[in-house]
Amino acid sequence: MEKKQIFENLAMAIVEGDREKVKENAREVLNSRVDPLGAVEQGLSKGMATVGERFEKGEAYLPELLMAADTFNAAMEILKPEIEAQKKKVAKAGTVLIGTVKGDVHNIGKNIVATVLEIHGFEVRDLGVDNPSLYIIQEAEKVKADVIALSSLMTTTMPGQKEVIETLKEMHLREKYFVIVGGGPVTQEWADKIGADGYGRSAVQAVEIVKKLLAQKR
Amino acid sequence: MLNFLDVYERALKGPIMSENDFDIKIFIPTLNKVVREYGIKYDKENPVPSDDKIADNLFKAAVDFMSQVGVYCQDTNRVIQFTQEEILEAVREAPGKCFVGEGKEAGVFGIRKPDDHQVPWLHVGSGIVTTSEEMAANKIESYASISEANSMSVAALDNIRGIPIMAGSPAELYAAIRSIKIAREAIQRAGRPGLPIMNLIATAASAVTTIAASAPQFGLRATDGWLCGTVAEMKIEFGTLNKVAYLLNWGANIGAETAPILGGYCGGPVGTAVVSTAYILVGLLVHKGNYQLHFPVHFKHGCSTTRDVLWVVSISCQAASRNISMPVIWLGYMAGGPNTKMYFYESAAWLLCAAVSGAPSVQTPHPAKAVLIDGFTPMECKFGVEMAKSATRFDRQKANGMVIRLLEKYESKIETAPQGSRYQDCYDVVTGKPGEAYVRLYNEVKEELAGMGIAFE
Repeated sequence: MEKKQIFENLAMAIVEGDREKVKENAREVLNSRVDPLGAVEQGLSKGMATVGERFEKGEAYLPELLMAADTFNAAMEILKPEIEAQKKKVAKAGTVLIGTVKGDVHNIGKNIVATVLEIHGFEVRDLGVDNPSLYIIQEAEKVKADVIALSSLMTTTMPGQKEVIETLKEMHLREKYFVIVGGGPVTQEWADKIGADGYGRSAVQAVEIVKKLLAQKR
Repeated sequence: MLNFLDVYERALKGPIMSENDFDIKIFIPTLNKVVREYGIKYDKENPVPSDDKIADNLFKAAVDFMSQVGVYCQDTNRVIQFTQEEILEAVREAPGKCFVGEGKEAGVFGIRKPDDHQVPWLHVGSGIVTTSEEMAANKIESYASISEANSMSVAALDNIRGIPIMAGSPAELYAAIRSIKIAREAIQRAGRPGLPIMNLIATAASAVTTIAASAPQFGLRATDGWLCGTVAEMKIEFGTLNKVAYLLNWGANIGAETAPILGGYCGGPVGTAVVSTAYILVGLLVHKGNYQLHFPVHFKHGCSTTRDVLWVVSISCQAASRNISMPVIWLGYMAGGPNTKMYFYESAAWLLCAAVSGAPSVQTPHPAKAVLIDGFTPMECKFGVEMAKSATRFDRQKANGMVIRLLEKYESKIETAPQGSRYQDCYDVVTGKPGEAYVRLYNEVKEELAGMGIAFE
């Protein structure tokens, strides 16, 4: 099969969320000796981008995002060993640590942001919910995060976002990380007040802000 | 019906799985299957459908879905499961009414059916739109002064003596107790000391704070109502179960609080409609609720007035009101803020949708997606009450046409909705009276609506 067709098939399998099809196509990549890194960048990632666009237009929702990410991972299980054997690496756009702050157990918005970040090529470490400030910072250090993304869905947990920023300052780590905030009651005004580097009303806005911040860093 | 300890035992013994597996392997595929099997279809052209068979089919789909999925307990990582027979038994034994308030304000909050001309139970105020201590009393007095209001929500405080309130902290406990005292005194100033507060306790995010601040010496009564939440989607945790256990032992009113999110795990409108209906069953079976606060919302837009969410509200409200005798307060989030025409257009659409669909109760639609501190005024409460009463004159078919006309006025502006004014920017904070500009705006909108056939008394 032609390389172009293989890449298109990979992209389609991602869009359809078809694990079996994507595994079949990933094996075809190896059998046809097509560049596996090219297959990721021009096949799988194109499919992810399509799903991301549909999500932004309201034509796809979180289940489609999760299925796309799950299908992507299924393909990577087959392609990654070969990529590594060729001493190559899938380029990552950056590392984002994301979590809901202490006292807050809401996670849907955070999950959507995490999935959309993955779709856009970011390495994401998701801490889940109800995270103490110090733990967030310790994990950011561990994974060498570029960005700390904090979610809060209640006005009474929003102070947790401020606490993370204040604790970073106390630990002389503030300059090391970009901090972005989001969640239902969070506003640009609040983000400015607490000294966050960015605020995203939607998942796609969050990705744009992360890209912009990391471009500044470089 | 299974009692609370029976349900709790299932949280200890149900199938064990990670939360991620529950979402990806159980919730999403089962929902997709049920939607297909029951042929649930989104009707974009008719946000207020009027076919009873569609509503009843949705109810059956919700029962089936609930029996296959259950409710996930985050603290035990197990699924609380129910058979269809148990679910239907709970439906047969549903409370049907909720006794609230004291003295002259004592009332019975019951159920309605679609096309019902009975005025819904009118619940005013907002818990989630926070306020400061200084302004809370005047606002609450104003809400309580609306004579048609049957019950109210009181706002969460955002700080106590300048200290920000963090969930689970001593400041939260202090603020929770303070908010109750302010509310009781303000309601008394309005001459209605028995009026029930039914969103307890807005200032308390944590269960331990809620339970501590609920001690009777701080002013709360068993005839008020407490909200016990769920985690989206179809999940519960010990904090909520502890609140339920406490309230059951006290004999106080338990309000299950549920909010399906269109665009999240529910996917689009069809899945959200099934989950929205299933949540009323969750309120009966798990929370042992004798009332419920329910608010479907759009994930991306943060509001309840997009065409697809209006459809979800209407069809799931019809499914629930036709088949489940649970007194439900339906609540909507508006994109437009206070002191904007857009807020009133959205509220009119949303209230029409809910009232004709059989909502037992409607709450004041929340402005500015409930994110603006002090972004809630008595004017919205007044409009909500008048509009809900007016809406009961219509049936679903007539309301559908009106909702479509109202959508034309605001639908294209949802993403850029005006945030509007804070209370202190459009009201006199000393007298608690609205400014002239806001009164003029309100009257202009009333005239516009009257031109559409929506007349207030």
